[in-house]
Amino acid sequence: MTWLSDWLRELILVVLMAAFVEMLLPGKSMERYARLVLSLLVLLTLLNPVISLLKGDASSQLALAMEQAQRESGWGSGGDTGDSLQEILRQGQLLAAGSREQSLQLAAGEVAGQMQEQIAAATGVRGVNVTVALEMGRDTGGGELPVISRVAVTLPEGSSPQHAGGAEGGGAADQEAPGGRIHITPVEPVQVRIGAADAAQTAEAAASGEESAGTAETSSTAIGQQAESIVDLLVQNWNVERSRIEVKGAGGAEKS
Amino acid sequence: MEIIQVVGIGLLSTVLILVLKEQKPVFAFLLTTATGILIFLFLLGKIGTIMGTLERVAESSGMDMIYIKTVFKIIGIAYIAEFGAQIVRDAGADSIASKIELAGKVLIMVLAVPIISIIIETVMKLLPA
Repeated sequence: MTWLSDWLRELILVVLMAAFVEMLLPGKSMERYARLVLSLLVLLTLLNPVISLLKGDASSQLALAMEQAQRESGWGSGGDTGDSLQEILRQGQLLAAGSREQSLQLAAGEVAGQMQEQIAAATGVRGVNVTVALEMGRDTGGGELPVISRVAVTLPEGSSPQHAGGAEGGGAADQEAPGGRIHITPVEPVQVRIGAADAAQTAEAAASGEESAGTAETSSTAIGQQAESIVDLLVQNWNVERSRIEVKGAGGAEKS
Repeated sequence: MEIIQVVGIGLLSTVLILVLKEQKPVFAFLLTTATGILIFLFLLGKIGTIMGTLERVAESSGMDMIYIKTVFKIIGIAYIAEFGAQIVRDAGADSIASKIELAGKVLIMVLAVPIISIIIETVMKLLPA
């Protein structure tokens, strides 16, 4: 019985509203036409149960028909809706591109973190700064895949001399002994080592000039070797092209 | 006592128009239009109140919004067409005024087309084939 009360209430409201609106109309000339539409509305409300029995919801059908009629009537609202649809689509594409950019940045951060860990695990150098740039590429068929477009590795300051010793295996005799200890906390002792090396260089400049020149050479070659090993590691693990990887020392730049 | 304001504006502008009509008929027409727009704008807020009340009542009683929308469209078309036609008629172009009224009538009838189609379809389904 609820449908009956709903229907009655709707009917009463529509009739009341029609009477009210008829009084609100401005002039005599429009009155007949407006009355026709209003009486049609009342008729539709009267027929509402029958319509819902035969065809489904009357009001939703009316809304659909109204929308269609508005779209079909060429000028004004019709053109507007087309424009706004295009506008909405354009904004949607912009939003999608923005979110894709964001997800690419997130993924790049993750990849950079993993690379950093792998470099630390493989070469023992901690504090390496890795920057990864991702872009969307069409590698496999139609689907889009994120591809690593550039990797920049910046070696921490002072790591190279330590590795110079480690990589060469020999080097100076007093470099070998701390090298074994350093494995646990690598970074700080390395810096101390540079200071010590510099101090030694300044103090015993006259005494061992040739020796200091030798260490400088070994450090530069060590950076190169280290860079090579890092590039090899990244190429092997991440399947990145060699030309896209860039390894920089703290001071000079070494590029592969 | 807003009606006094409206009548006052109307009387004042009528006197001014009567004076102006002898000297500059064009300015008299402009004054007529301006007065009409002024009164219309003054009433717009009141009409908005009525519309808002109707909408609120319909919403709270669970009536379908499509009916309300149709009714509002009828009122809007009627008001705008009537107003424009009267201004044009005041300027002396009766034929254009009647065209504007015709446009208003046609647009109101266009609103009836979906309703009529639904009713006719239902009736046709009710009838035995």
